[in-house]
Amino acid sequence: MPADGPRAAQEAREGSATAVAAIRGAMPEGRDRDPARYPIDGHIPALALAPRTRGELAGALQAAARGGLAVAPQAGRTALAAGGPLHRYDVALDLRGLDRVVEHEPADLTITVEAGISLGSLAEVLRPHGQQLPLDPPGGGEVSVGGMLATARPGSWRGLLPGVGDLLLGATVALPDGTLARSGGRVVKNVAGYDLHRLHAGALGAFGVIVEAAFKLVPLPEATATIACRCRHLPQAAALARTLRDTPLAARGLALVGARAAAEAGLPAEPHVLVGLAGAAAALERSRREVRLCCRSAHVPPAEERGDDETWGRLRALAAGAEAEAGGAEGTPVVLRGSLPLSELAAVLEEAEEAGFAAWAHIAAGSLLAAAPPSGDAADAGRVAALRARCEAAGGTLAIEAGPAALRAALDPAAGARDEVALDLARELRRRFDPLRTVNPGRWPLIDGPGTGAGAAGAA
Amino acid sequence: MQTNAPAARNDAATPPAGDPPNPLRGDPALRAALARELRAIVGAPHVIDAPEELLVYEYDATIERARPDLVVLPASTEEAAATLAACARVDAPVVPRGSGTGFAGGALPVAGGVVVATARMTRIRELDAEERIAVVEPGVINLALQQAAAEHGLRYAPDPSSQRICTIGGNVGTNAGGPHTLAHGSTVNHVLAVELVLPDGRVTWLGGRQLDAPGVDLRALVVGSEGTLGLVTAVCVRLLPLPEAVRTMLAVFDTVERASEAVSAIVERGVIPVALEMLDAETIRAVESQARLGYPLDAGAVLLAEVEGLAEQVEEDAATVIAALEESGARTVRSADEEAERERLWEGRKAGIGALGAISPNFYLLDGVVPRTKLPAVMREVAALSERYGFRCANIFHAGDGNLHPNIMFDELEPGSSSRVLELGGEILRVCVEAGGSITGEHGVGLEKRSYLGWIFDPPDLDAMTRVRDAFGGSGRFNPCKVLPVSHGCAQGHAAEAGAAALRLARAPGVYL
Repeated sequence: MPADGPRAAQEAREGSATAVAAIRGAMPEGRDRDPARYPIDGHIPALALAPRTRGELAGALQAAARGGLAVAPQAGRTALAAGGPLHRYDVALDLRGLDRVVEHEPADLTITVEAGISLGSLAEVLRPHGQQLPLDPPGGGEVSVGGMLATARPGSWRGLLPGVGDLLLGATVALPDGTLARSGGRVVKNVAGYDLHRLHAGALGAFGVIVEAAFKLVPLPEATATIACRCRHLPQAAALARTLRDTPLAARGLALVGARAAAEAGLPAEPHVLVGLAGAAAALERSRREVRLCCRSAHVPPAEERGDDETWGRLRALAAGAEAEAGGAEGTPVVLRGSLPLSELAAVLEEAEEAGFAAWAHIAAGSLLAAAPPSGDAADAGRVAALRARCEAAGGTLAIEAGPAALRAALDPAAGARDEVALDLARELRRRFDPLRTVNPGRWPLIDGPGTGAGAAGAA
Repeated sequence: MQTNAPAARNDAATPPAGDPPNPLRGDPALRAALARELRAIVGAPHVIDAPEELLVYEYDATIERARPDLVVLPASTEEAAATLAACARVDAPVVPRGSGTGFAGGALPVAGGVVVATARMTRIRELDAEERIAVVEPGVINLALQQAAAEHGLRYAPDPSSQRICTIGGNVGTNAGGPHTLAHGSTVNHVLAVELVLPDGRVTWLGGRQLDAPGVDLRALVVGSEGTLGLVTAVCVRLLPLPEAVRTMLAVFDTVERASEAVSAIVERGVIPVALEMLDAETIRAVESQARLGYPLDAGAVLLAEVEGLAEQVEEDAATVIAALEESGARTVRSADEEAERERLWEGRKAGIGALGAISPNFYLLDGVVPRTKLPAVMREVAALSERYGFRCANIFHAGDGNLHPNIMFDELEPGSSSRVLELGGEILRVCVEAGGSITGEHGVGLEKRSYLGWIFDPPDLDAMTRVRDAFGGSGRFNPCKVLPVSHGCAQGHAAEAGAAALRLARAPGVYL
């Protein structure tokens, strides 16, 4: 955390008293919250507001932009250690008050919700109808719909099931100029106009604040099961995972789990292959048989069936950075996500575990996750950089999805997106949607620049 | 087929003065100089400027026409980039073009300018069965990619019905769907990355070789942008394993309404088939008059359902689907597992549009979407509206997605028919919008529907979309007058609007949709 953070916040508070008054004035009574409860990377904002309607949110955003204040939208607070450290942080916008189900037509298998609703609450709404939004992003039920969209972090089902952008039918976004802009719609197939909602997915607020989103739903599976195959060594596990990928299974999850990650997930500290099954009971029976056969021919001991969500749930928590509440201060664990060719996943996973990370890979998505406590050697920027270089040499990328501010200031969290032409486009879009960088300034260091504000100066 | 009487030629396609600036018009020297420059880039035979040869490029699957000033056929990304840079230097409009199978006028050079056709960029640069990805050039035909993937036990999921002639580049442009979109999603779900030449000639890759590449997702913005943000010169797609088992079911119903109710009945039972397609009575009769497939001529509708996956799953899902079909009043249900037999069941669906083309001089193929539960009511309205306007209307469509394709049959030689057909089309799309749907599910906005965009989007929404177009640097010059309405992104709109109104549609060689 920057040493001069509090002072800068103090200055912002005094220097922009008018702006703060203006933004308060844009909101009805009773929307103020205690700023101390909204730290990001150790910074306390001057003001915390909890709008109840999209109009209030847009008004607050517009007032903030006019006053030159920087805003950080948040709800579940599960991904505040994502992206670069904020350059400025004046106003916390708490979206938890925007948690309504706008429209749910069960027979259409679509739902429209406000961004502040948590995935847990959403699942409660859908379960009685035998439906689900088939996404399990890091952080699970705590994550808000808005947070899930803004970060677009894939979960363990990705690759076997669709991604967040694939299920997103449309969205309404509050722009810093105070307008509300919609794209897409509420029907499952639609190619009218530019798909801006897909641009906002994963943009960390760079082009506005998502206030409402419509999703495609799917029926809940008839049955689910999780099978853990305990292997003697990683190459054996990798070979088994590879075989399972090419075996017809009713699978929604297929992970290669390193020994450290296995221990964190409550399994014996040895390499594992984790298979998540979902479908008709008969299809699950058949899949169990197939897994058994694959294990036998790979000389892996008979697989063990686990409580279905237990192991995946632990990995999900690990991927979120278990101490998310710390909001990116020193206590934040490091979470890295590599995108790699299938052929390289196991080798890089092994190196990550050797470097002190708990590492696992989602085979169908080509993604490697590596988590480490904040204070260990693994959190060292040099080690992360070395692992990144390794991923890039293998034809992949490595993103920092959570970590202490110092690490995220030292290394661009999204490296891999370094193509100058693409960056120019992103900068151009940022300039047209948020010219004053009102929302989350600094989350994309390569778009917003290295930051001149107190936060960046302190953190660097 | 006999649709394109010369009368289809319409002056609205040649915009009157004041329309999108095109420095090539009225400046033969500039046009000749640009042609020379482009010949140096792509080789003399691959720049077309002779009027009789340009004719080939003045149409798409609509009956609207617009003549380009030049056509260029680059063979590589480098040639395409140099082509676009040269066009940028003289401010020439640029219109990307694949196979010209679009139904919305998206590839029509309404402002003239340079058509950049991808017909020479047809290489599958890479197909990695282990990583399950392919990198293809935009001119690759959808079916060619399917066949290449199938050799490895893989498939490329988007399968628009025009797959025998449409290109991957065109599919990316419209975010194309197809019968199997219901389960697998549209093109954007299967595109990992695109190589894009920006309007100024700079080249970039957007996305990565794995899912969910880090960084802002510009890839998703480009897919479906109908060639207005740049020219796609390569596409990295993901391939899926072929399913272990597939079962196709064909159910005959007395009425479209019954069949529409069956669609919801299936989904309510917790099964989402991979495809759920409907043919109405008009289509059935057309199909039967062309090829005897054994559809009962007195049937009101045929519903085609397909499930796939693990054999056990298919067994159970098929049983659920059949039960739902029977309870919804299906007269008969046929079912097939073997590929040849399944293909026979699909035959009517695939031949449908062609059969319609054969029984009517012209038809206007619409593309609207409604929530699935609104299908019965909307189908009733479509029928009532068609009757009121005095046109026969055949429906052959993606029922599971609520993606309607009413085909209005008409004869453009009958005075006034074209404008009444357009009016009817607009009314039907209105009904879709009022039911909570959209004006296009897979064909795109193009020129045809840009004035309808305001029905579903408000000015701030369109303004946000304009910002996107501006950020890519192609506003007003790159595929001008497409997608965004007149007031947004196309300064001189009245003629383009007239162009949209004149878009009377449908040549229909019989392989589309």
